[in-house]
Amino acid sequence: MTIFIIFIMGLVTGILSGLFGVGGGIILIPMLVLILNIPQHNAQGISMLMMIPTAIVGIYHFNKDKLVNYNMAGYMAAGAVVGALISANFVQYIPAEILKKFFGLFIICVGARMIWTKPKK
Amino acid sequence: MQQSAKFILVGFTVGILSGLLGLGGGVFLIPVMVTAFAVAQHNAHATSLAVVVPTAIVSAVIYGLHGFIDFSITLNIIVGSIVGASLGARLAQKIPAAQLKRLFGLFMVVVGLRMIYS
Repeated sequence: MTIFIIFIMGLVTGILSGLFGVGGGIILIPMLVLILNIPQHNAQGISMLMMIPTAIVGIYHFNKDKLVNYNMAGYMAAGAVVGALISANFVQYIPAEILKKFFGLFIICVGARMIWTKPKK
Repeated sequence: MQQSAKFILVGFTVGILSGLLGLGGGVFLIPVMVTAFAVAQHNAHATSLAVVVPTAIVSAVIYGLHGFIDFSITLNIIVGSIVGASLGARLAQKIPAAQLKRLFGLFMVVVGLRMIYS
């Protein structure tokens, strides 16, 4: 039964990842913590490993329609890898909870703007 | 500034934020690509996934070295998530760009609310 529940969690995460072009951690991590009682850090580790094959499957599908801009992705990834390595070492010195609430508000505003924009003709 | 330098700067900023907040980064990358670089919605989603892969590889190695990864659970999740990703990506390709943008906006609002009330 647990195996089935975990499979469903993976399925839901995968659908949202493919649909929205995100890693899926934001969906998977709370499910792992709340449903399976996995500690936050372990949930983040599992989520990071899960993202790799999941995103590759998404890329495979989008690649067929030539939707992936590898040039842009390469430069962004180079910056992102360095940024992630730096912040991983400083995370304990920064009030992440306050930062999280601040960016939560920011994301809501950007999201709301995307919902109500008129499509360009 | 050169276009490539801008991309690196955006990636760097998103990388720092995702490391701090424990996110993949797609939720920041996609709106930046769409608004600042005028990338079409579908291309932004696809390109975001290509940024997620190398970033997740680096993070997964770090988490793995610290012993934070349960491989049997992860494998079980991956079986579901690769099936899901295939369905999700096909679904995305069937949705017109304007609707996909709205749907993504809705997803962002939910993610943002969760970040505030967690």
